[in-house]
Amino acid sequence: MKPAFHHTILALAAVGLIAGAGLAKAQQKQDQSRALKHYESGTKEFWTHPPDDWFLGDETEQQKGLAPPSGPPTGASDAELAALVKKIKLPPGFKIEVWAPGVLAARQMAWGDKGTLFVGSFGLGNVYAIKDNGGKREVKTILKGLNMPTGLAFKNGALYVIAVDKLIKYDNAEANLDNLGEGKVVYDDMPSYAAHGWKYIAVDKDGWFYIPFGPPFNVGIPPTSVSQIRRVDPQTGNAETWALGVRNSVGGDVDPRSGKYWFTENARDWISDDLPSDKLNMIQKIGEHFGYPYCHQGDLPDPKFAMGHKCSEFAPPVLNLGAHVAPLGMKFYTGDQFPAEYKNNILIAEHGSWNRHKYQGGRIVRVIVGPDGKNPKQEVFASGWIEGDQGYLGRPDDIILAKDGSILVADDWAGAIYRISYSK
Amino acid sequence: MRKLLMGMLAVALVGVLPARAADDAAIKEKAAVCAGCHGESGISQTENIPSLAGQPDQYIQWQLVFFRAGSRKNEQMQPIVEGLSNEDIRSLGAYFAALTPPKAPPQDDNPDLSKKGAQAAVGRRCASCHTDSFAGTKAVARIADQREEYLVKALHDYKSSKRVGGGQAVMADVAYPLSDEEIEALAHYLAHL
Repeated sequence: MKPAFHHTILALAAVGLIAGAGLAKAQQKQDQSRALKHYESGTKEFWTHPPDDWFLGDETEQQKGLAPPSGPPTGASDAELAALVKKIKLPPGFKIEVWAPGVLAARQMAWGDKGTLFVGSFGLGNVYAIKDNGGKREVKTILKGLNMPTGLAFKNGALYVIAVDKLIKYDNAEANLDNLGEGKVVYDDMPSYAAHGWKYIAVDKDGWFYIPFGPPFNVGIPPTSVSQIRRVDPQTGNAETWALGVRNSVGGDVDPRSGKYWFTENARDWISDDLPSDKLNMIQKIGEHFGYPYCHQGDLPDPKFAMGHKCSEFAPPVLNLGAHVAPLGMKFYTGDQFPAEYKNNILIAEHGSWNRHKYQGGRIVRVIVGPDGKNPKQEVFASGWIEGDQGYLGRPDDIILAKDGSILVADDWAGAIYRISYSK
Repeated sequence: MRKLLMGMLAVALVGVLPARAADDAAIKEKAAVCAGCHGESGISQTENIPSLAGQPDQYIQWQLVFFRAGSRKNEQMQPIVEGLSNEDIRSLGAYFAALTPPKAPPQDDNPDLSKKGAQAAVGRRCASCHTDSFAGTKAVARIADQREEYLVKALHDYKSSKRVGGGQAVMADVAYPLSDEEIEALAHYLAHL
């Protein structure tokens, strides 16, 4: 009886498998002939639950299995970090060291007035404060349970944290690291999408914040209120739309020469390993449209979503950085420690690929370009975080200048902050 | 068993055993706390409590990190996990990953439901992340032969956004449109592989 039963189960399983394979084929066929997506954005539900196909559903059979890799949950150990920094290649005279380990999922960094380094994080929901106690760094988790608090800023004694749909202000933050309290929401006119809902903050000379809004999917007709960059006054909650047609931007900086806002942008996935390129952009004038979803990398109409548009209609990128390099945090180098030719160059932290069979990025690039954005030149500044085709030792995601002119680099994979310095 | 472990730990502490064995004994002692609910050898006998045996190392680690950070909330887990160091979490990941995974019940009492579940699993592309055998990989959970009612609970938790499932929030998006019938069928199918 029992063996017979097992046979039945096996047979059933076999039937299931065959049926499964058939369904998979049918699904694929359906994917290929799929018409333009249509979203019902008029309901509340749409705003609370983004379309369920933003992530899955665009891949071809050949691309199956490419997915964002997941790093070590507890970051890299001290021994692993010590081995890692030895593998990082830098130009002559530069040196990298581990500045602070144990900063899990570290994202954007901001300095407090009294020398505290604040660090946001990704899915963990933590915000950290790092104090430099005479060369020994103490990492303290000061906020917990926030919704992807990747972006933060420090202004007039207050720490600002952006957690998807809330910009929260914590007054007098450095004096209250042990108990920041609930904070005060100063701006919340933002959708609650988790997908591409994580943000970055760049502060301009007026104290307004440039904040990016990503669409909640890979590619599609963006719902109103996203695919844009806004400039927000944290004092009043007033906001202006400065750029449209932007996909996923998680980094930018104000040009110290012109006051204009430059930003990195992650292009759509699932076209191919080498297309389209991620971008470095500059907003020449308010209200420019940067092409998404109609046109990518300045010259590639989207195969499905061009919808009659030409690339010439849109603001071109300053520079195409490469396909799937994932540029995130960036800074103009305004310090005095690095050689003079680095002055006002842009340093970009590239998080590295997932939607590519051989990863690239996972490094820091240096872009040499004038304030007009013409004739840009890029070169690799720091590399060595990728091992083999699809292996990461770490993933740089933000850069900040230190007082002494060195730079700090956040890495959310290794859960660490590095320091890169120069001496002759 | 517990006495034996304590004994081993004591022996290890006085340095008779090599360091590695001391680590092993220490982690078994920590894992003994888990066994109260998650079962001996990581096979749960308790309703709504998942089996941990054979879960991918990284998946275990991520969940512990999420519980510790408070981004995955659970009253029982929180006080236990609060005091874990990064080193403890790595050891526990390795420990549970090395245990023999649970086996399906000897017979499927509802093959029709399993068939529906198999179809739903294809339609919802579960294998894209959980792999073709549903054994999971890296940060993605083993769902093959997990306790059926726990799978139902987990899918409902994702559907209601009680659980988001890591930075990508993929599970929240996948589970949101699932009907109760689909959840039941999926859970039944996966529990009887």
